[in-house]
Amino acid sequence: MKTIRYVFTTLALLLGIAFTGFAQETAEQDSVVAACTAVAQETSCEAQQTAQTAVTEVSVWDDIITFFTKMGFVRIADDWKVIIMLFVSFFLLYLAIKKKYEPLLLLPIAFGMLLTNLPGAEMFHSELWSAFLDETSPAYHSYGTILKNGGLLDVLYIGVKAGVYPCLIFIGVGAMTDFGPLIANPKSLLLGAAAQIGIFFTFLCANLMGFTEAQAGSIGIIGGADGPTSIFLTSRLAPELLGPIAIAAYSYMALVPVIQPPIMRALTTKKERAIKMKQLRSVSKTEKIVFPIMVTTIVALILPDAAPLIGCLMLGNLMKECGVVDRLSKTAQNELMNIVVIFLGLSVGATATAGSFLNWQTIMILAIGIVAFGLGSAGGVLLAKLMNVFSKEKINPLIGSAGVSAVPMAARVSQTVGQEENPSNFLLMHAMGPNVAGVIGSAVAAGILLTMLG
Amino acid sequence: MTLALLPARQGQYKTLQLNMLLLSINNINWGHVWMVTILGFLMVVALLVVLIYILKLFGWIMQPKVKVSAKTPVQDAKLIKKNASSPDNDDEHDIVTLPANATAAIAMALHLYYNSVHDEEPTKVTIKKVDRRYSPWNSKLYGMNNLHRS
Repeated sequence: MKTIRYVFTTLALLLGIAFTGFAQETAEQDSVVAACTAVAQETSCEAQQTAQTAVTEVSVWDDIITFFTKMGFVRIADDWKVIIMLFVSFFLLYLAIKKKYEPLLLLPIAFGMLLTNLPGAEMFHSELWSAFLDETSPAYHSYGTILKNGGLLDVLYIGVKAGVYPCLIFIGVGAMTDFGPLIANPKSLLLGAAAQIGIFFTFLCANLMGFTEAQAGSIGIIGGADGPTSIFLTSRLAPELLGPIAIAAYSYMALVPVIQPPIMRALTTKKERAIKMKQLRSVSKTEKIVFPIMVTTIVALILPDAAPLIGCLMLGNLMKECGVVDRLSKTAQNELMNIVVIFLGLSVGATATAGSFLNWQTIMILAIGIVAFGLGSAGGVLLAKLMNVFSKEKINPLIGSAGVSAVPMAARVSQTVGQEENPSNFLLMHAMGPNVAGVIGSAVAAGILLTMLG
Repeated sequence: MTLALLPARQGQYKTLQLNMLLLSINNINWGHVWMVTILGFLMVVALLVVLIYILKLFGWIMQPKVKVSAKTPVQDAKLIKKNASSPDNDDEHDIVTLPANATAAIAMALHLYYNSVHDEEPTKVTIKKVDRRYSPWNSKLYGMNNLHRS
């Protein structure tokens, strides 16, 4: 059975190569025939008639040739980078399906990458988007040109470009988040703030590595471990880096259980990891309802650029907590969220074309991204240790690492590492405080970067 | 000849790239970069610290005011007895302190009761009668007559 499969695969490959060579050869012959016909027109009428007859004779053959030259197999040989990109997309699909690395987003991203790199499919046109950003071009900021000349993925990408998808996703995230642990223990916000150090340190490093300030800001936001925020900021500051940054952000979020535990163990003692925390106070429904309204008002008044993200996050949460719009809340959590995830994933994956992805910048982004992530985790743990020096009530430093967003994965990691030391210790609810504080913190950091660099 | 020149050309290319990187680094407005780094981080912290104080204030206002006695249960029992004996105070249920596990047990019981999680079971303990007519102990199949038949 295996032998038959190998034989068929080899045959298919040989056929593909043969078609490529054949099509190129016939295209050359075709141009010679065309030239000859032109010469014949000049020489004599008789010769012209003969030439016309020749053209009608070859027209059927010509159609077949045109069909073959339009095949992706023929075009794929023009750019070797496309083949690599196709394999990268296959690898990401493998990670999403087999390894289950953030499959809800990685799968559409990888498939978008596959679609955009298929030669001849013309589903995404990076040149249209370059013209869209070029002030000298007639297509500058013209969505009409995109709709007229663009493919399916170009049309979907308008949602990313206009910053619509990340905000809609934040409505769903808000509708699924319980801010109760944060309201019960407001100090968690400090841990969420400390974890944002990764963003700003990485911004500095990226500048050192030769990126522009706007690009550095977009790379730094990977440290916030918040996919929608990363996409929102990058689409505004450095849209040319959207593909690599989105892939780095989501890959590292999926790798939270691998990246964080060694950092957490290295920065804490056994005794610190075993600290049991006091039970959180109960939070009334009124508090939960007033919280989103209050946070939106305060943050948007202080930092208007953070209003779209914080506003949408809190709108979703208010719909969940108020209890009078159950239908809207359920829609935001399920249907809306899922639809937008498909659109966002596909269009972000589409930006990862061979030209924009296969370069040193991408490798550097992936390298700096992991530094940003590690620093964010370390920042939260170290601040929790510092708080223990001054505070009467001891905090388990493991909850500090949950200050990077990655809800609820980072909180789960704190719980798992904590239980390794003390199986009767339940840190999950305590870690959810810094975890949701991290979401607010990264949205605020994005707003600040947008204000300063945008 | 060409092959011999290649390493030198590669070296030149690398030097050129390095120079370009250094040039781009020199072109960066480092004052602005440092300002964004430090001021940006401090602004995140400051904004979240403001939120902490607002949340604390908010919690203080919104938290339900429950009078919880700081005394030990033994002292409380004495207090309840004292209150019960006093003629002008018949509301002895105001001051009740229970340990957390007892509160949790009561809450669980109430939850189960109100949500009808428990099945209602008969309180009779019975042994179900098993009707085995053809067991080896009472069956005629294994009787003496059968032996005769066979």
